[in-house]
Amino acid sequence: MTAHTPHPRKYLALAGAQALTPSHHLSLSDVARLQSLLSQPFTDLESAYYSVVGLTKLGAVIPDQNEVCHFLKSELDPASVDSLFFAVETSQAISGCEIPVSNETRDILLAAVSEDSTMGQIHRAVSALGSLGLPLASQEVIGALTARIEKEDNVMAITSALLAASRLSQQAELGGILEEIEDLTARLDDLGGMYLQFEEGLEATAMFVTAAYSLSDHVGVEPPLKEDQVIQLVNSIFSKKSWDSLAEAFSVASAAAALSSNQFHVPVVVRTHGPATVSHSQPTLQLLVTDVMSQPLTSANVLVESANAASSKSSILSQAPFTLNDGIFEFNFMSSQPASGYYQFTIAVTGDKRLVANQVELKVKVSTEVAVTNMDLSVVDKDQSIGTKTTRVDYPSKAKSSFVADSHQYFAMAFQLVDVNTGVELTPHQTFVRLHNQKTGQEVVFVAEPDSKNLYKFELDTAERKSEFDTISGTYSLCLIVGDATLENPILWNVADVVLKFVDEEAPATIQPKTLYVPKPEIQHLFREPEKKPPTVVSNAFTALVLFPFLLLLILWFKLGANISNFRLSPSTVLFHVGHAAMLGLMYVYWTHLDMFQTLKYLAIIGGVTFLAGNRMLAQKAVKRCEKGIC
Amino acid sequence: MSNSVISVISRFLEEYTSTTPTKLKVVDSYLLYILLTGALQFLYCLLVGTFPFNSFLSGFISCVGSFILAVCLRIQINPQNKGDFLSISPERAFADFLFAHTVLHLVVMNFIG
Repeated sequence: MTAHTPHPRKYLALAGAQALTPSHHLSLSDVARLQSLLSQPFTDLESAYYSVVGLTKLGAVIPDQNEVCHFLKSELDPASVDSLFFAVETSQAISGCEIPVSNETRDILLAAVSEDSTMGQIHRAVSALGSLGLPLASQEVIGALTARIEKEDNVMAITSALLAASRLSQQAELGGILEEIEDLTARLDDLGGMYLQFEEGLEATAMFVTAAYSLSDHVGVEPPLKEDQVIQLVNSIFSKKSWDSLAEAFSVASAAAALSSNQFHVPVVVRTHGPATVSHSQPTLQLLVTDVMSQPLTSANVLVESANAASSKSSILSQAPFTLNDGIFEFNFMSSQPASGYYQFTIAVTGDKRLVANQVELKVKVSTEVAVTNMDLSVVDKDQSIGTKTTRVDYPSKAKSSFVADSHQYFAMAFQLVDVNTGVELTPHQTFVRLHNQKTGQEVVFVAEPDSKNLYKFELDTAERKSEFDTISGTYSLCLIVGDATLENPILWNVADVVLKFVDEEAPATIQPKTLYVPKPEIQHLFREPEKKPPTVVSNAFTALVLFPFLLLLILWFKLGANISNFRLSPSTVLFHVGHAAMLGLMYVYWTHLDMFQTLKYLAIIGGVTFLAGNRMLAQKAVKRCEKGIC
Repeated sequence: MSNSVISVISRFLEEYTSTTPTKLKVVDSYLLYILLTGALQFLYCLLVGTFPFNSFLSGFISCVGSFILAVCLRIQINPQNKGDFLSISPERAFADFLFAHTVLHLVVMNFIG
């Protein structure tokens, strides 16, 4: 099939700085794993098809091709469309294998191309007919496919339709089928802007990609996939690194082949060969520029579009090309003499209009070696500002004599940190001065700060700092520690011994190492103490005492002559008194057993009865009182 | 000075015993009983502390509430005050007294713990 001239990329968005780049692809080990899965011995025609055709798509060589051909011929069932499809397609992949075909076979295949067969059957029949070189009426097929799409709307069916259409004549009217690509694209699920896949799974997504590019290449029309969508599909298909079935492995292999060799979109994978670090000993930045199957794109031109220092954003490079060296693109960054630190590179891959995601951002580190120069140590008297003699120490030796500083003096240290290669002064992240008491094991660490001229100074005032040292006098070994992410040679240098004399020295307590991870002392739980209660005697006495006024009341009432002689034994009176007694009894029961709701319920009943009885009783009393005359 | 106090008190007691109707004296002795009970409760609380506070409060408020309701009853059934309580007969006063006591006892029993 001859290809039409590719149309200009009208669907691709402008490659901005935030263009998506593939986060997953098939590395060489992934391809090897895929190949070994596909190379497993097969026992039926379908497995043979997946294995042989899959390996061919990965560019691998099929071993024992004669045996495979024998196998195909012996396993073939000429009455089954599927069997014919697998056998014929597999035979196309190996050389010198022809499946004999009879008129009945041809008729069976032609009969399968109708709107009554499933889409899968139509696709297999069309492919087998095409591979066998048998004539086929494209218009009929298109009619069957279009009718079938109405009935079978699922993703795999439409994918089969696309694959079938790609086997038809280029003069046929494939526009209707071509539009299905756009419909299917709309059905893809977007996961976090990174992945685009069908909910039917990996096989459906991978076969869709294969079919879309297969048909698009055949017709010569660019598929309606945006650049970001292509990369998202790449991420989805190649994120899974072990495959469950031969069919899944075959679909991934097909998609990989489609994405690396179609006429429209070829995603580019740019990775560093080794760490993205350059230094004097290793001045070149090495890049691997491949397609999704890790095949190098040797015809591409790779250049540094811009390189900016990460901190100052100043531009170091612009439009600098990489050189191709044995499949690896190299660039000598150190020749631009960059200062140590981090740089943001924007790398562009050009040379082929089909390249997708061809602009990559990369963070490159330039590391260097540091040297300590002009290390001057001195002990200065606080009273006079006359500096006492300064001792110069050279790295890595140690000062011969130790320095003594007591409360009237302070110890001073000054030095410079320079880049070994360029002589530029450096200010690394970590510049510490560590004093270590050899006897007690105590160590104190200070930070050395640079002044405006990048000269590091450190002063130890014994009187001021005695709390850090716990006022323990003695000999301390002084070390300088220099470190940074961009330094290749961190420094730990025992510069000198310093004897510190503190006043108010307490008896040196043995310094215990920080007991952070030792079990802590157990906390005894204090249970809630019961309240202090008075002795039982007192409370009993008062209980009796409180009952005493009641006795007094009874005595007084007796003395006054209160009596119940007026008690009329009428039903309402009895009922009232019984009800009233019941209410008082209810109060007691409320205290011991019931809750408010139950009490209110009973109270309503008893109270109601008592009220009615009492009302009658009191009315009777009132009538009697009125009869007596006092109304 | 003390003489006049004693004489005032004795005069008061004399008048009280002679002029007060028995009915009211019955209520007055009830009032005395309530007062003594409340005082004893308070004394106990001062001596041994307020634990448990809710019980003390409920007992004390019971005494105070009963005292107040009894005073109301006494005022309402006093024949000398009949002019002020034309619509409230003694029986009605007693019925109110009983009802208020029911509510008071409900609250006290709830709070006694």
